[in-house]
Amino acid sequence: MKFPSCEDVEACASAKLLRSMAAKKLRRAQLSQELCERLSRCQITTCQDFLCLSLLELMKVTGQSYYEVQKLLCKVSRACAPKMQTAYEMKLRKSVSPSSAFLSTTLHSLDRVLHGGVPCGSLTEITSPPGCGKTQFCIMLSVLATLPLSMGGLDGAVIYIDTESAFSAERLIEIAGNRFPTYFDSDEKVFCMTRSIHLYRELTCCSVLQRIMSLEEEIISKKVKLIIIDSVASVVRKEFDTKLQGNLAERSNFLTRGASVLKYLAEEFSIPVILTNQITTSLSNGPEIQADLVSPADDLSLSEGASVSGKKDSGCVTAALGNTWSHSVNTRLILQYHDLPKRQLLVAKSPVSPFSAFFYTIEKSGLVLQDGKDQTNLIWEGTNPALQPIRVRNTALKDTLLSATLPSTTGETSSNTSDL
Amino acid sequence: MQREVGSLPLAPALRARLAAAGFQTAQELLETGPCGLSKEIGISKEEALEALQVVRQECHGDAARTAGGSGATRKFTALELLEEEQAQGFIITFCSALDNILGGGVQLTKITEVCGAPGVGKTQLCMQLAVDVQIPECFGGVAGEAVFIDTEGSFMVDRVVDIAAACVQHCQLIAEAQQEEDHLKALETFSLESILSHIYYFRCRDYIELLAQVYLLPEFLSEHSRVRLVVIDGIAFPFRHDFEDLSLRTRLLNGLAQQLIMVANDHKAAVVLTNQMTTRIGQSQSTLVPALGESWGHAATVRVIFHWDNSQRLATLYKSPSQKEATIPYHITPHGFRDVQPPAVTQKAEGTEMNPRKRPRREEEEKQQQFQS
Repeated sequence: MKFPSCEDVEACASAKLLRSMAAKKLRRAQLSQELCERLSRCQITTCQDFLCLSLLELMKVTGQSYYEVQKLLCKVSRACAPKMQTAYEMKLRKSVSPSSAFLSTTLHSLDRVLHGGVPCGSLTEITSPPGCGKTQFCIMLSVLATLPLSMGGLDGAVIYIDTESAFSAERLIEIAGNRFPTYFDSDEKVFCMTRSIHLYRELTCCSVLQRIMSLEEEIISKKVKLIIIDSVASVVRKEFDTKLQGNLAERSNFLTRGASVLKYLAEEFSIPVILTNQITTSLSNGPEIQADLVSPADDLSLSEGASVSGKKDSGCVTAALGNTWSHSVNTRLILQYHDLPKRQLLVAKSPVSPFSAFFYTIEKSGLVLQDGKDQTNLIWEGTNPALQPIRVRNTALKDTLLSATLPSTTGETSSNTSDL
Repeated sequence: MQREVGSLPLAPALRARLAAAGFQTAQELLETGPCGLSKEIGISKEEALEALQVVRQECHGDAARTAGGSGATRKFTALELLEEEQAQGFIITFCSALDNILGGGVQLTKITEVCGAPGVGKTQLCMQLAVDVQIPECFGGVAGEAVFIDTEGSFMVDRVVDIAAACVQHCQLIAEAQQEEDHLKALETFSLESILSHIYYFRCRDYIELLAQVYLLPEFLSEHSRVRLVVIDGIAFPFRHDFEDLSLRTRLLNGLAQQLIMVANDHKAAVVLTNQMTTRIGQSQSTLVPALGESWGHAATVRVIFHWDNSQRLATLYKSPSQKEATIPYHITPHGFRDVQPPAVTQKAEGTEMNPRKRPRREEEEKQQQFQS
């Protein structure tokens, strides 16, 4: 069955490439007028067309000698190639404005481990089972981004792309009021904050992609400092069924396209981009199956099934969207259940931080870390971020019940998450 | 040797005219001279002169090649190659187990590919190598500079600062222990600032920028002749989307591989590429294999695969012309890429670790003894 969004996605994607360096018209690469005309007769108008041809083909279409063609190739490459910077220049630029390198989450232990907070200029993913706190985290970060620089914020607007209709404005105001009571003391300040959060409801893959591609101008005009997409997984899983032939490749295609546009935006404007993801069951002897963990009954059956078979390699619950997506995001934070109401936040993938685990609860003011003495002794050896097992709600419940009845049951350490 | 006109690198239209006029060998062209040529074929004198210059250059190159002199193609005996290889430096990774299975470290003039699952440490290794290539020769390094081509955006300057600081500290410890003149002198120029200034960073957003940058690499390396390492972090990412035409992708990748081999050889640099893993769905199971297809596997000389075993990171040497397949564990620490167990004897072990040049000389001695016995 052909998906109706296929051609539209293609059109969106080609539109994106048209705006990149590759689509630079050859005239602007400082080739002579007559050469450009000659090339356009063979349908070669952009740098991309030029660089994709082999040397012999180029000789044929330009009518020039081998050495001339090599010189032309260098000329066109110079028009497309990125600018060089040394690592030293990059460091200097960062040290000049250090606060613009990250968005502090106000969860101090997490900020410390991430060298400041959610990094600007890269993609950060938050994965968790339903109800664990993804949307709460996103709403909290939206508030933080609008705060002035003196309070650790980014003093800018937020673009919130909501695909699950989970955003609640009332919760937004509640978090703001409870977390920063001294700052949000007047209605004026609250309205100012809510006016800076731009909410978009997108319900299909294609519309999400189109929205992402149109963001460039909005970021400049509205002075946006944070992009949140909540969630990527819900639209993708609705439209791509990986059991069907060819859908896995198309899904990867869509995801990598989206990721590269978002990375471009993140780096170009030096802003953080936050994406949320869902969970799936990954069976070690087969491709991952789509687990729609919507109702608690499904939740229970999965955990039951796994524990009945008893073996570790019968499968585990892990982040959705596959391997390729795990490569595309730069940082992965996992929220999972522990003993309710305590939950756990794991730093599963980060280029600057080792694996870390923290306990938190969800309060009126958003997420609150439990900085207790058991926090410092928490050693957690992580594993492959694409296969990191995640605890779902009922397993946590089951475990607490089990450990209550059987006092000799082994102490639940956070690393035993795969023993469901 | 008489070179045929059809094989000369002239413009196709010009070649067609020459053939139509009856010219067959390059010698004939040179004998005719520019004025005669222009009259016979009907081109301007300047064009004729240009064409003759091209022909002369080609013939001169041919002659040089047949005489066995230095040119684009050189011939060696295996003994000369052996001596060259042994004198060749290695770029150490600070993980002695990994250096051992690679035969001393990342080898210059070869392409090494590192494949791995997400988050396993590929970019960390690349950043470590970009720092290690700059270690001065008296500490066992190659004293080179690094080019870092980033397609995924995972290069973190802060992390490089941490790794570089740890490296400088390591060298300082050795210098204090051994107290040699040249060590202290080298340390004067081997500082955090100089390390960062010699890492040349390019951010390529799509495959066209990557292609363009690789075409410009020979020119860049001629200007910066001390570069000894080219890292492309994420060769897979730009090629995994926007490609419906897989044959075009294969062609572009092959061209890229050839360019890189040329760069590695001509400029005596090591090329390190990182690749992603992709899921291949079999009949009953799915496996993780390196991305970009089977044909890409031929591009790299040495292939290392990083993977997980529960919570331990492992590196497997998958393809190498001279070393045996082996798997070793490694660690990523705040100081960078390291072994799992720190070496028991600190100063002495560090000394031997840091001087891989001692190793080839020892091997040579052993070999000489073998020949003699």
